[in-house]
Amino acid sequence: MISVADLLTNNRVPSNYFAPDAYVRGDLEMGLLENRRGDRLLALPETLIQGIYAGLDKETGQATRLVLFNCGRWWGKNFYARFSEELTDYYNTALADMSMVEFLQCLQQCWIAHGWGKIDMDQTYQQRGFLVIKIWNSPFANHAPKGTLPVCFLEAGILSTFFSQLTGKDLQCVQTTCESAGADCNRFVLGLTKRLESVEAMVQNHDTHEAIMQALCA
Amino acid sequence: MDAQIATIFDEAESRYLKSEELNILSQYVSSLPQRLETYRLLRDKELEIMQQVADQLQLAMPQETTANLERCLKHALLMLRYCAMSMLLNDESFVKERLLGWLSQTVQAYNTQAIDSTLYRLLNQRLSQVFNPGQLGLLNPPLKLAQTTLLQPNLK
Repeated sequence: MISVADLLTNNRVPSNYFAPDAYVRGDLEMGLLENRRGDRLLALPETLIQGIYAGLDKETGQATRLVLFNCGRWWGKNFYARFSEELTDYYNTALADMSMVEFLQCLQQCWIAHGWGKIDMDQTYQQRGFLVIKIWNSPFANHAPKGTLPVCFLEAGILSTFFSQLTGKDLQCVQTTCESAGADCNRFVLGLTKRLESVEAMVQNHDTHEAIMQALCA
Repeated sequence: MDAQIATIFDEAESRYLKSEELNILSQYVSSLPQRLETYRLLRDKELEIMQQVADQLQLAMPQETTANLERCLKHALLMLRYCAMSMLLNDESFVKERLLGWLSQTVQAYNTQAIDSTLYRLLNQRLSQVFNPGQLGLLNPPLKLAQTTLLQPNLK
C-alpha cells in the first residue's frame, strides 16, 4: 500500500523551484538582486547587450563570434554548476538521477525565470547523435544587430558547455536559425565536434535548418 | 493578496476609500475566521484525507503502476496545499501563477490525466465529508480552477 506520509520529504513536496515570484528577490536599497538561495543575480540592461555587440564588433570585428562563444562557454560552466547545485539541494536528487521530464521542466522554468526566453528540446534526431534546442524570445537575439546570419554565439557557448557537462561528452553547438534574421525561433544543433564540422559552412551558405539536419543525418 | 484589495491600497495618498471599497475590505476580513478555520482543518487532516484517497485510488486503478499513482498523489498534495494558501489569501492567481503553469506541463508530460481524474473525484468526495458547506464554498473555487486546468487535454 502507498503511504502518503512517505511521499513527503521533511513534510514538503517540492514544486517549481524556479517560480519567478519566489525565485527572484531583491533589495532595492542595497541595489541587489538575488535568487531564493541568496545567490547574486545580474540584470543586463538592453543597452548593455546592444553595447556588447557593438563594442565587440568595433574592437575585434570578425573575432566577435569567437569571443562571445568563449564567454558563453565560461558562463555555461558556472551556470551548470549552479543549476545542478540548486536543484540537488531543492529536490534532494542528483541531476543525473532526475527523469528527463523533470530535468527539461526545470531547465525551461529556469530559462523563463532568468528572462532568457522560452527553451525547448527537440529530440527528433537524438538517435542520430544530435540534439536540437529551440529558444523563443531570446534577448540576445532581440538586441543583436539585424542581419541574415545567426548571432547568438553567447547562447551557443552556454549550451555547448552546459550539455557537455551534463552528458560527459565534449559537445559542440552551432546555431542554424535566428530570430534576429527573421526566423520563428533560434535553433541550436548540439553534437560531437567532428560531426558538426560541416554545419558552419552550411549556415554561412544560408541553408535551411531542415536541409542542414538532412545533410547531417544522411 | 486579493487583487481588488491590493488595488485599494494603492489609493492611500490620493483619497479616502469609498464605502463600496471599505465593504470589499470588511467582507474579506469578516470571512477570515472561517478561512482560518478551514485552513487549520485541512492542515490537520491532510494526511488522513489523502491516505484514504490513496487507498481508494489503488483499489480503483489496480492496473496502474505504484510510481504513477504516487506521482499523482504528490501532485494532488501540492494542489491541495496551494489551494489552501490561495483560499486563505482569497487569491486565485496564487494557484495560477505559482502552481498551474508548471504543474499542468508536468501532468501532460506524464500523461496522467486518467489517474488524476479519478483521484480528484475521490478527493472531492472525501472533502465534502470532512468540510461543511460554508468551508467547501471557500475551498472549492481554487480547487475547481486547479482541477479543470490540470485535466485539460494537451494543448501543445
